[in-house]
Amino acid sequence: MMRSGMARLILMRLAIAVPLLLIISFGVFSLVHLAPGDPVRALLGTRPSDPETLATLRARYHLDDPFIVQYGKWLGQVLQGDLGRSINGNRLVLSSIKERAGVTIYLCLISTVIVLVAGILLGMLAAFRRGGRLDRFVVMFGVFGISSPAFVTGIFLLYVFGVVLGWFPTFGAGRGFLDRFWHLTLPSLALALSIMAIVVKITRASMIEVMDRDYVAFARARGMSAARITFAYILRNALIPVVTAGGLIVIGFLANAIYVEVTFALPGLGSLIVDAVQRRDIPLIQGTTLVFALFVVIINLVVDIIYTMIDPRIRFGKVAS
Amino acid sequence: MTEHVEATQPKERAPRDAIPPAIVIAFIVVAIVVICAFFGGSIAPDSPFTQRLEIGDTPPSAEFPAGTDLLGRDVLSRVIHGAWTALIGPVVVAAGAFAIATVLGLLSGYLGGVVDSGIMRWVDFMLALPGPLVAIVVVGVVGGGYWTAVAVLIILFTAPDTRIVRSAVLEQRPRPYIDAARALGVSKTRILFVHILPNVLPIILAYVVLDFAFALVNLAGLSFLGLGVEPGTPDWGRMLFENRTILFTNPVALLLPAAMVILTAVSMNLIGDWLFARFTRQ
Amino acid sequence: MTAKSLLTVRGLAITAAGRAITTGTNLEIARGETIAIVGESGSGKSLTAKAIARLLPPGVSATGQVSYDGIDLLALPEREMQQIRGRRLSLMLQDPFTMLNPLMKSGLHIAEMLRDRPEFRDRAALNGEVARRLTEVGITDPDVAERMPFQLSGGMSQRIALAAALARDPELLIADEPSTALDVTTQAEIIKLLKRVQQSRGMGLVLITHNLRLAFSTCDRIYVLYAGSLLEVGSARAVEADPFHPYTLGLLLSEPPADKRVPKLIAIRGKVPRADEVAGRCAFADRCDWTKDACRAAAPALAELAPGRLTACIRRREIAAEMQALRGSALAAASPSAAPDSATRPIVRAASLVKDFAGRAGRVVQALKGVSIEVRPGESVGLVGESGSGKTTLGRILVGLETPTSGRIDIGGFDASDFSAMTSAERAATRRIIQMVFQDPYSTLNPRHSVRRSLTEAIGTIGRFPRSEIDARIAELLREVGLPEYYAERRPSSLSGGERQRVAIARALSVKPKILVCDEPVSALDVSVQAQILNLFKRLKLELGLSYLFITHDLAVVRQIAERIYVLYLGEVVEHGSAEDVISRPQHPYTKRLIDSIPR
Repeated sequence: MMRSGMARLILMRLAIAVPLLLIISFGVFSLVHLAPGDPVRALLGTRPSDPETLATLRARYHLDDPFIVQYGKWLGQVLQGDLGRSINGNRLVLSSIKERAGVTIYLCLISTVIVLVAGILLGMLAAFRRGGRLDRFVVMFGVFGISSPAFVTGIFLLYVFGVVLGWFPTFGAGRGFLDRFWHLTLPSLALALSIMAIVVKITRASMIEVMDRDYVAFARARGMSAARITFAYILRNALIPVVTAGGLIVIGFLANAIYVEVTFALPGLGSLIVDAVQRRDIPLIQGTTLVFALFVVIINLVVDIIYTMIDPRIRFGKVAS
Repeated sequence: MTEHVEATQPKERAPRDAIPPAIVIAFIVVAIVVICAFFGGSIAPDSPFTQRLEIGDTPPSAEFPAGTDLLGRDVLSRVIHGAWTALIGPVVVAAGAFAIATVLGLLSGYLGGVVDSGIMRWVDFMLALPGPLVAIVVVGVVGGGYWTAVAVLIILFTAPDTRIVRSAVLEQRPRPYIDAARALGVSKTRILFVHILPNVLPIILAYVVLDFAFALVNLAGLSFLGLGVEPGTPDWGRMLFENRTILFTNPVALLLPAAMVILTAVSMNLIGDWLFARFTRQ
Repeated sequence: MTAKSLLTVRGLAITAAGRAITTGTNLEIARGETIAIVGESGSGKSLTAKAIARLLPPGVSATGQVSYDGIDLLALPEREMQQIRGRRLSLMLQDPFTMLNPLMKSGLHIAEMLRDRPEFRDRAALNGEVARRLTEVGITDPDVAERMPFQLSGGMSQRIALAAALARDPELLIADEPSTALDVTTQAEIIKLLKRVQQSRGMGLVLITHNLRLAFSTCDRIYVLYAGSLLEVGSARAVEADPFHPYTLGLLLSEPPADKRVPKLIAIRGKVPRADEVAGRCAFADRCDWTKDACRAAAPALAELAPGRLTACIRRREIAAEMQALRGSALAAASPSAAPDSATRPIVRAASLVKDFAGRAGRVVQALKGVSIEVRPGESVGLVGESGSGKTTLGRILVGLETPTSGRIDIGGFDASDFSAMTSAERAATRRIIQMVFQDPYSTLNPRHSVRRSLTEAIGTIGRFPRSEIDARIAELLREVGLPEYYAERRPSSLSGGERQRVAIARALSVKPKILVCDEPVSALDVSVQAQILNLFKRLKLELGLSYLFITHDLAVVRQIAERIYVLYLGEVVEHGSAEDVISRPQHPYTKRLIDSIPR
């Protein structure tokens, strides 16, 4: 029952994820037509508008077909891995993305580790010391973290550690593992700080709630050890809301990564997308946005599955989510 | 011993809790931002637009307390004038999103059925989107700057806000006082607006304040990417974008607007959290 | 007291945020003895239990002496206290649905208590022991150990919790309202189980309860706690025969008897105070009929009037005769229920009502499976059932809050099978015939509306009236439900549970209905207040000629109100007849079980 229930749940999530991706791809495709003016002009960018180029573009984007047919043909190309060529530099969008993805993934990985370890730990400590000095500090830190976007935090980090103290480089991504780590320390920290605030806030709130629950009191009444109560009773139950917020956290990561990359002039996907937007390079925008969206949807799917695994109430179909 | 209710004294009302000092400071910060937004012209020492290309970017001095930017404009005056776009956009976003969300949330929560599942399907879809990315791409491609950004943020914020209003309504709906009104034949609209809405309004208000902070941060972010306000507009996010290159020569030109973004957002978040705690305590 | 004493509590005073919760409680329990701490809400009984186990929530502190087998528990470091809990004494909490870790299989709650013992290192041995422990609490299906807590019924959860609490074989178990959250029939089973386990283990048991009758039937000795003060101590039999304190007597008389109908319950007036409101005087003085100035001059101490009989009433010797007389008169008075006049046309008649709800995964849950009932003018009809019987659904259908899947309803001559299919005039007329009173007093009133505003809205549903007329009507309604007129300006937050329920009744009466559907209207109230509200229902019936459909799980309550009873079980009427017949000569096995569950 358990296994088949699980498989059904994954199928159900997929049944939501696929249409979602289709709708997003449709939105992304429509960008060509959303841009002010003639789509050909939008796709042309700053290139000379000789009849030959225009004809190539019309053919490449099937602009003479009805809208929905254009979308179908475009989607077909995308599914085959053909994201087209950028207007500026006429490069394959896919290879630009591949080139830039490394920095973003590296950045997000370091931050994720910081967020999960430090965020959950701080939230736990604050909850255990509820009302104490550490707790008040953590709560205030949370408010500041949630209020400070990564680009603002980044500027302060840059100024203090890059300009005043001169400990870390102020731009670029570095080469090789260690150099890159050194270059990415401040950006990862800036990225982690804003997300960590959310994790700390949720962990603390749900820890406090769980600690007040009857089952914790009953476990204490039976003389269970503090360690057993903390891990098997409090932490396991308290982490469910944190996992539920996983989707929110992932979206926060990606959005803030864009800002961090711009702030620290890192050659990642985020700065690629901002470059593309600033230059209105439609094919490049479409390609990067699709990749981002795909990533978000996949991560959300994974988060949902993890959530299902740790909360038996969902697994056994008790709560309709 | 007879059936009789003893005339009890009204329970002494809990003394109105003193406002904590952090909240007082937060209110002062917000008041200053509001004053700057409306009376910036008379407060600022200089016009935010006067260029002095001959001096360029200078560190703080007696003449320019916060120094000048690349074009020699007075940073302090630009920060003071920047309060306007920091205030008006977020106010429109927070109020607009919640106005729509309140209507949708009330309908969804009270009517249930097809209306509810339709609205919630849409909310789920919106929440699965990477919102900030959507804002960047749409504002970037469509153009139109600040007000396009405001419009996009209203749409993006409406989804989570609808969910908040709906769950607040769902909390009230099964309560016996609603059933009693229904059994008496009180009309649906009266139940919605006289019974449910006043009981969910305080929570909505607290979230409007929180939304303001979030909108401020988002709008500043778009301006920081060069997508929000028009070039040259005194705006905190835009200043971070324009002054990126003078971090070494006049750091104040970046740090001051950055600090203002944080201070304002922190203040609004503190006020929102405080209101929320107050309203949900009972 | 004696050398055999297992737990001795001396001067246990609990305070929260500077406010006194209890003032110097003394308790004594010997090995193998069962005592009860009886009290209403706010008496401090639950916190006393938690204080003994050193499990007070943050912000609540206790002073005094708790000596367990010679060990001073309050002075013990937490690490050593942890060794005491579970092994020497265990505590069970009230709500079985929240006591187990939702993410842990039920059997693991027992296994985790056992597995550090060397003989249970082996997995098979451990599982065998868990199964044995489950058998002790009456669970013979070994599969239950594999289930998650949310898959268990309340009674089953309570059994698992009991097995877990006893896994390390403590010598003392404190059970805080172990049966209150359960259905009536399950309640009796759990209490019987507790008693059986206590006896076979020779274990000490502290039962915390609000139910005096339950305490009498289960325990050796009784401690009566009221607003933080102990008012009476004595053996169960002696206290039951002759309560020494007016409060204990009041509590006993407030409990509606199940075996007969009394014209009027003897209620305690007023409401339960907070401990700090009655500091420095007799806590019960404001509600007592024998209060003298001396009662308010100082807090009376418990005095031993007979061996093992303590009371805090300083006037006991003077008033003993009067108290006995009152008890006697209450016991003697019994009124037969008036025979319903079967000739008159029923005011409510429901025939073959079926109600389906959409369950999980497309399944249909049938809440009502063809129920037929009728209520005649001036008649009170009881609808008795446990959770899941469909009794609330039936009540809600009759007032138009739900629409039945099939079946016919006639209310005062109107076809009310589907309220939405009626003309608005008919619907309005129907609503002037039938109104409802709900269970939960705390959300039965809109928290933002004053009493006046709530009543004005209700009066407004029957037409437009000038201000003066509305005000006069509000005054009349408040008088009818026994509230002073100035209560009109009050908001719900400044009213007690009983007062809120009175306002809710006034609201229902404001359209001058002929019948009230009352859904468990007293089950959330303290016993002493419950009697007041039941008396109010009785008086209103006489004064206004009302009919009632009284929905309840409590046979004793329904005995006092109803002339006829329908017993509802899993969506079907399994028995109906006069209250007399159904309670004295039950036919259906389920009804018999219900009646056997009443503690006596």
